Amino acid sequence: MRTAVLEAQGVSKVFGHGELAVHALHPADVSLYRGEVLVVMGPSGSGKTTLLSILGLVLAPTQGSVRVEGTLVRYASSDALARLRRDKVGFIFQQFNLLSGLTAIDNVALPLLLRGLGQKERRTRAGRALDLVAMADKLDAKPRHLSVGQQQRVAIARALVAEAGVLLCDEPTASLDSASGTVVLDTLKNLAKTEKRAVVVVTHDTRVLKIADRLVHVEDGRTREANRHAEGTTRAAQ
Amino acid sequence: MRFAKLAVQMLVDVPFKSLGTLLGVFVSAFLMLQELSSLEGLLTRVAAVPDTAEVDMWIASKATESIGATDSVPESRVGAAAGTPGVAWAAPVLIGMGRVTRPDGVRECVSVLGVQAPRYAGLPSNFAAGTTPDSLRGSSRILLNDNDRPSFGAAVPGDRLEINGRTAIVSGFFEGMDPHAPCFYFYANIDDARAMTDFPEGRVTFIALGLERGASEKEVKRRLAARIADVAIFSRKELHDAEVRYFLVRTPAGLFFGVAVAIAAIVGGVFVAVTLYSMVIDRMRDYGMLKAVGARNRDLLRLLLFQAWTFAVVGYASGLGCFLVMRQTVTALRMVVTPQILIVVAVVSITTCTLASYAAIRRVLSLDPASIFRG
Repeated sequence: MRTAVLEAQGVSKVFGHGELAVHALHPADVSLYRGEVLVVMGPSGSGKTTLLSILGLVLAPTQGSVRVEGTLVRYASSDALARLRRDKVGFIFQQFNLLSGLTAIDNVALPLLLRGLGQKERRTRAGRALDLVAMADKLDAKPRHLSVGQQQRVAIARALVAEAGVLLCDEPTASLDSASGTVVLDTLKNLAKTEKRAVVVVTHDTRVLKIADRLVHVEDGRTREANRHAEGTTRAAQ
Repeated sequence: MRFAKLAVQMLVDVPFKSLGTLLGVFVSAFLMLQELSSLEGLLTRVAAVPDTAEVDMWIASKATESIGATDSVPESRVGAAAGTPGVAWAAPVLIGMGRVTRPDGVRECVSVLGVQAPRYAGLPSNFAAGTTPDSLRGSSRILLNDNDRPSFGAAVPGDRLEINGRTAIVSGFFEGMDPHAPCFYFYANIDDARAMTDFPEGRVTFIALGLERGASEKEVKRRLAARIADVAIFSRKELHDAEVRYFLVRTPAGLFFGVAVAIAAIVGGVFVAVTLYSMVIDRMRDYGMLKAVGARNRDLLRLLLFQAWTFAVVGYASGLGCFLVMRQTVTALRMVVTPQILIVVAVVSITTCTLASYAAIRRVLSLDPASIFRG
């Protein structure tokens, strides 16, 4: 039996109170497994980002629980949550969110800096992560000297470097052209398979379906697991 | 500090705002150094009379607030003072006010300090070449401050001046005294000074005392107080402090310099606060990212404080450098810089930058890491 690296059970989110309450996410069960790509799709405002935020431990669910590698997450301490994110979750953002003043390798090494590792080890591990995304020749380039596709690959390396079991990707191809998007998707798929990471991709981009092992639809805050092959066929027919 | 490099890289990445913030600290530190050093320069001069005279203790009226704000005491107390155990000698000193006519006809106020031969207690200890205390021997002789010579047509010994309608003969010049006072200081024989300033007979302004070697200042003071009623007794330091206190409290100078320093600190602080806050607002996505990838609030607090202190240290150092160059160049300002001033301004700069970073730090610490996903 497979063991989930991250497991959300009955997680829901309600913003506001009383008549003004907004049910952003109805109770949902999501399990993430190593070596697998889970794609979350849905229209704007459907609750995708809320689900991603809960899975990424940056948002406490109103109800339900999240377990990371079998350990129940407690939301009382923001420091403890920060440590969990630092060690267990890698984030890839739509806008990459690289620090413009830092070189590629320094950007990638940020999670290791937060962990308190020494400079030499940071550089070694960040260099290795950049190598995994085929950016080993751009170690000392600043973000402004990289193409958007390269910037996203640096961001992926940053998510990888702490060797977190889960990679959460928020619209990772939204800012990329077709060619760069393909490279990034291939990289993510490859990382899931070879590095045994659980990859979650929240997106509108149907191109992402080609790397999906599982697909979750979110609409009006309700999640539904779909057949990604049928979805891919339907999209292709359209 | 493991975030030092990151903190500096983030500052270097926004050079104009960083320079703007630095400018705020620089100007603030420079102005504080300039104001405090100018004040210190004045304070070293306001107590010129007790500081330059070789006198151990001074007896004066109980009403005495400073050298220039005092009453008189009976001259007969000189003998009582001289007979007090521990006192080696006692001599009267008189300070009278008058108006001296400059060669160009302008009349200015003058403090004529009368001292008694042969000790001439109360005279400054440094004289221009050719001048000795005995230069006051002879009728109507006066000593001028060497710094004031230009005001009297490059005066030389033998020149005649008119003080309150009486003729005085310049007989020499004293040095090393640069009083911050509205009037000239002249020294004369006590009888001449009394005559020139119409000072009442039988009264003197101060009684200057020299203590016997090894005598306890505290003990002699106690004996004098028991022996001579209704007078104030000052050690050299106490009279110096009284002069400084009078200058700071009873003239607008203390308030003026205090307000100037406070404004420099406040304006610098507001400037730094606004630019730091603006820099943080510009980087909210970066801080959101850092929080999302695992930065704890204490990590970000260290990062932001390091940035604030970097501004404080670099701004202070550049302000100090510029100030020292100005001090060397513009000597007429007669600024005196002490280690205490350097420490005070450094501490104020660091404190100001720390307080100024409060709003920026609060904004970052309250940032929801989930905001990074909200576009």
